[in-house]
Order: sequence, then structure tokens, then C-alpha cells
Amino acid sequence: MTDSFTANLPVYVIIAPLFVAIVLPTFARLKRLVQGLVLLVGVLGVAGTGYLAYMVLSKEGFPMIYSMGGWPAPWGIELVVGNLGAFFLLVVSGVSLPVALFSRDNLTVEVGGKERVARFYVFYLLLVGALSGMALTHDLFNVYVLVEVATLSCCALVSSRKHPRAAEAAFNYLILATLGSALVMGGIGFIYMITGHLNMGFASQEINRIWQHNPHVVWLAFSFMLVGFGVKSALFPLHIWLPDAHSTAPSPASAILSGLAVKGYMICLLKVLYNVFGHSLMQEFAVHRIMVLAGTIAILAGSISAMTQDDLKRRLAFSTVAQVGYIILGFGIVNTKGLAGTLFYLASHAVIKSLLFLSAGSIIAVTGKKKVSELAGIGRKMPITMATFTIASLSLIGIPLFSGFIGKWHLLVGSMEAGNFLPTAVIIIGSVLCAAYLLPVIRVAYFESAPQEDWKDPGFSQKLALIVLAAATVILGVVPGPFLELATRAATDLLMR
Amino acid sequence: MNLLANKLIINYPYFAAVILFMIGALTVLTRSNLFKKLLGINIMESAIFLLFVAGGNIRGGASPILDNTHADAVYINPLPSALMLTGIVVSVSVTAFALALIIRLYKSYGTTDARQIALMRDEVTRK
Amino acid sequence: MKDFILKRVVVIILPFLCVYGFYVILHGHVSPGGSFAGGIILGLSIIAYSTIFGIEKGKAKIPEKVLVWTESYGTLWYGLMGMVGIVKGFPFLANKLAGIDVGVPGALSSGGLISLIGIGVGIRVASTMVTLFFTMMEEEP
Repeated sequence: MTDSFTANLPVYVIIAPLFVAIVLPTFARLKRLVQGLVLLVGVLGVAGTGYLAYMVLSKEGFPMIYSMGGWPAPWGIELVVGNLGAFFLLVVSGVSLPVALFSRDNLTVEVGGKERVARFYVFYLLLVGALSGMALTHDLFNVYVLVEVATLSCCALVSSRKHPRAAEAAFNYLILATLGSALVMGGIGFIYMITGHLNMGFASQEINRIWQHNPHVVWLAFSFMLVGFGVKSALFPLHIWLPDAHSTAPSPASAILSGLAVKGYMICLLKVLYNVFGHSLMQEFAVHRIMVLAGTIAILAGSISAMTQDDLKRRLAFSTVAQVGYIILGFGIVNTKGLAGTLFYLASHAVIKSLLFLSAGSIIAVTGKKKVSELAGIGRKMPITMATFTIASLSLIGIPLFSGFIGKWHLLVGSMEAGNFLPTAVIIIGSVLCAAYLLPVIRVAYFESAPQEDWKDPGFSQKLALIVLAAATVILGVVPGPFLELATRAATDLLMR
Repeated sequence: MNLLANKLIINYPYFAAVILFMIGALTVLTRSNLFKKLLGINIMESAIFLLFVAGGNIRGGASPILDNTHADAVYINPLPSALMLTGIVVSVSVTAFALALIIRLYKSYGTTDARQIALMRDEVTRK
Repeated sequence: MKDFILKRVVVIILPFLCVYGFYVILHGHVSPGGSFAGGIILGLSIIAYSTIFGIEKGKAKIPEKVLVWTESYGTLWYGLMGMVGIVKGFPFLANKLAGIDVGVPGALSSGGLISLIGIGVGIRVASTMVTLFFTMMEEEP
């Protein structure tokens, strides 16, 4: 019995959120029950993925390959619980649980109506299920379907607030994201045409054998994939939908969109680039240089745009554009240190950005002020919220003892090992710019006199969510041990092909 | 030149797919009417469907239904068509969602033109 | 709409539309079409009824609560059929492997779980189509 449970755990992790999302509308009136179920799914998700990650770390017959319906690889759909899958699953479940906890209190106000709360949770759970699927799937068309599910639920989350701006942002997001998924599907089509496989492993073998016969098709597939996932993960020139979408969404939605959804698309890009094409083909076509260059531009442009924003959530949204640049840049550094650092940075950014959005959200919910310049003295009125915001900012800047530092450090060492000094310089400049747009918020909040208002820290569950996330970034920074080990092994796996 | 023309004529489904994709992308990016943007998206997705299905087609091949009468026939590849069914379902749901959003936008702004919405954004938001 | 001919025609073809929808759903695993196409036909029959006789009458025939339930549990049915494989000790969505009789190819009672899954999907698609129609026709977004 336990054996069968463990063997089916990868499927349970994906279908549990989807099942609950499916049945939620039937008891939408019972708000307590809905919230309880969502939290239960979150807790079970953390437990399940934790167990999977533990088994992967202790190497009990892993990577574990699960064939859907019992059909073996070239015909059926495979789920592979390797190091990368377990790593991203852990990130997804670890970040989505505090976000669900945070959304317990004032979601009704944020989405404008009690009956819309259940709808929010439906799309939230669909998104979590799709992201878990992205972490594990080993089939190209499955990637497309999951990306599409994630995109639609992201759009629905953005539009869940009853506000014309939200609908507008959601529409722009939907149009651009569908453009991106059409490109992704085209890229998958090109890979399928020259290889005849949709399974990543078989497609990879085939494409490395025959790419010399059709280099143009491989080029097309590369560029379609890069632009398609670039649109979805808001790579700099294609980021125009992100600031509007992420700043108009309700705070829990912005947290999960900025923290996890964008990362899911990047994990898919990583899988396509390294598991399907392979790093030798990437270097043959100089794709890694393109990625470093695109990342560089994104870091600089995103940070500078973030500095010019006075709206707190928009500033954080532009900061996401810059951090996406870091991760894309890291994908172009083809060595173990660099990739492990990138993966670790991806995870820590997921934690940090959700923490930043959540604390910004609770500040906005309590004070009603959205501008950075109006936040004078918040640090003394709302000590816990602002303290977590400060921890997240310091971590994002890359101060030692916080998780952002570990990721950036490995990224830095990796780029030096690769002998490429452009990324090295850009990573450091990016940190300085990051300080330039986040520290003013903290200065205003702590060192300016507070107005005479009755502002207090938010309720218990919100505080708990903020503290859990802040503790996560500190713990990851002080004892990165097993997590970094998982990231390093995932990077080694990616480079093996 | 002759060779290129020959290639284009032989591979006309791919050529058509490229042209359709370009028409769709141009419509999405240059038109300000929301409905036209949505139409562009649909045209673009159809182009990709055409690309996939054409990739699985064999001229003169038999339809891939299990049939004992001509067991040695060359069957066309059914997989791309089956995958495109999924793609069509996804495209339908995207269209439905986008239409619902357009209705919402029309109710709050009274127009379906993206440029006018951008102009009116501030007054409607302030209300 | 008050047109007499339209009303009569819809009343006459409505049962046939429903039966045809169910026919396509049930024959999904042996012939072209399938649960998605069949579900849309089934949904269209209700949409045709509500366009001709008015939304209120359509909603009286199919209350929104029923729609929500069929939509949710039609999809859940798919998942439960997938779980049959797990219960029998095989992977998710296992069909013939899990010892289910798949019959002779081409016969109506073939395909094992696939035909059962098709019923759930068809009902779900039909109710989604109707829900979409009702939502778009309503005044309040």
C-alpha cells in the first residue's frame, strides 16, 4: 500500500490541486470550507513534495520515471521526478502555501465580493497544479498544454479584481501571452517535424543526431522557443504586459504571478534548451550568448525603469523584469556553478518577490497609500510588515546571510569560470541598481516622521505568512545546504546530456 | 530561381502557414480594435495548426483507421491532428475568455478601441 | 423572439439535436467526432432553445446550479476514471493494462474506460458552453 502510494506520488502532487479546483465551484458559498480545503491542499503539497525531494536527495532509485497510463516512453507521456523537478516542485509548494495563508483574511475586499473568492481560489489552484506539472513533465506537447492552463489562470487571476484597469491589463496580457504560446507551439511543431518525437529524451537524441541536415529548422525552433517563452516570462523588450498585470492584480495574485508563474515558464525554457537541444547544440548556435546579452539588457533596463516608478507595486513589478534578466543571463552561463546559482537564485527570488508583494499588499490594504513617497513612518506603525519587507529587500540586493546572496555568488563565480566578464560586471551593477530602487522605500518608511493615523500590523494569518517567508529567505541564506545540493545536482543533470 | 519556386509550390501548406501567421501577427500588433486583435490571435493559431497538420500529412496516404482491407497502405500520421484538437480546444477557451473581457471593458469604457481606452483610462479610474 | 415558425422548428428539432449530441458523445471512441464535438452539439441545443424562447425560460430548464454541478463533476469523473488504474495497482489512467475489457475495435462497447471518460467530458463541455452563453448574455459582467 505504501509502495503504491509512493509510486503514484508524482501524479498526486499534480492532480490534487486540479481536483480541488474542479470541485470548488459547487460549494462556493461556504467560504470557510473553501479556504480550509485550499490550505489543506497546500499543506499536503508541501508534505508530498518534501518527501519526494527527500527521496531524490537520498537517491532511492531516482530519477523516478512515471509513465501515464502505463504506456512507455516514445508513445506515452512521461513524468520524471529528477533533481530539477523535485527542486522546482519544492519551490512551488513552499511559496504557494504562505500565499494561500495570506489570502485568508482580506481577499473578499481585494476581489470585490464574497462570491468571487471561490473563483479566485479555483484559478489559484489551477495555476499551482499547472506549475507542478511543468516541474515534472517530460513531454513537449504536455509542456504546451500546461503553459496554456497556467496562462489562462494567470489572466483570470489578474482580472479577478472588479476594476476596469484589471480587465484591460488582463486583456493585454492574454493577447501577448497567446502570441507567445502560439510561438511555443510552433517551436514544438518544428522539433516534432525533424525528430518525430515529443518525448524530450528521444527528441534530444534525434535532434543531436540529425541537426546538421536541417540547421535552419533548428534555428527556427530555437528562435520560436526563445521568443515564445520570452514573452511569457517577461524578458526585457517583451515585458510590456507585466507591470500593468502584476500591479493591478490582488496582492496574493501578484505574489504568485511574480514569484511562481514567471518562474514556471523559465523552467520550461530551461528544460527545452538543455533537455531537448542540449548544451552542445546551444553553443553551436551561440544561443547562450544571446541569452547573456538579453539578460544583461533586461537587468539594466528593468532596474532603471524600476527607479523611475513611484507606485510601490509597479516598482516591484519592474524589479521582476530585472530579476528575470538575472535568471535568463544565468541560463546562458553553461557550467555547473553558474546553472546551480541560477536555479538557487530562481528559488530565492520566488520567495523574496512573493514576500515583497505580500508585505506591500498588506501596507496598501491598511493605509490605502500606493505611492512610495507617501509611506513616511510606516516602519514604526507596522513593524512586522516593514521588517519582513526590509529582509526581502536586503536579500534581493544580495547582502550576505540572505538567500539572494548565495544565488548571486554562485552565479558570479560561474560566470568568472566561463571566462565571460560581461555578466560578472552586470551582476554587480545590477545589485547596486537594486539597492538604488529598494533602499529609498526603507529610508522613507523608517526615517521620516509618521502621520497621526491608527495603522496597525495586519491580522494573525497574514503576519504568519510574512514571517514564514522571511524565515525561509534567512534560513536559505544561512544554511543553504540540501537545497543548494539539489540545485547543483540539477545543474549537473542538465549539463550531462 | 526556378528551384526556389518549385520548393514553394511543393511545400505550399507551409508557405500558406507562414503567410497566415504573418497576417495574424500584424493584425495583433497594429490594429487597435480589440475584436481585431482577437481575430489576429485566432488567425495566428490557425496558421500553427496548419503547420502541424501539414507536417503529419502524406500525399495519397490512407486515413489512419484500423482496417484489415488494406493493411499495407501508407497511413498518414494521426498524432499531429490529435494534438491540434487539443490546440483548438485551448484556442476556443482563450477566445471565450477574451470575449468576456472585451464585454467587461466595453461596459466600463463604452468603446472597444484600445487607443480610446488608453485615453479614457485616467478619468474612468478616478471615478 | 416571437416568430411562430422559429418556435415550432426549434421545438421539433430540439429532441433530435439532443439525441444527436448524445450519439456523437457515445460513439466518440469508434468514429470521428467525440466527446468535445458531441458536447458542443448538446450545448447548442440548449443555446438554441434559450435564444428562441428567451434566457429566462432556458435558465428555468437548466438552472445555473445544475450547470455548476455538471461542470465540476463531469471533469471529476475523468479524474476518477483515471484513479481506477491507481486503485488496481497500475499507473494513473491505465486502461487495458489495469485489466479492463477493451472489447473488439469498432464495436460500440469497446475502448474500456475511454468511452466512460467521454461521457464525463461531453457533459462538461455541454455545460461549459451553456454557462459561457448565459454569462455573455447577462447584463452584469
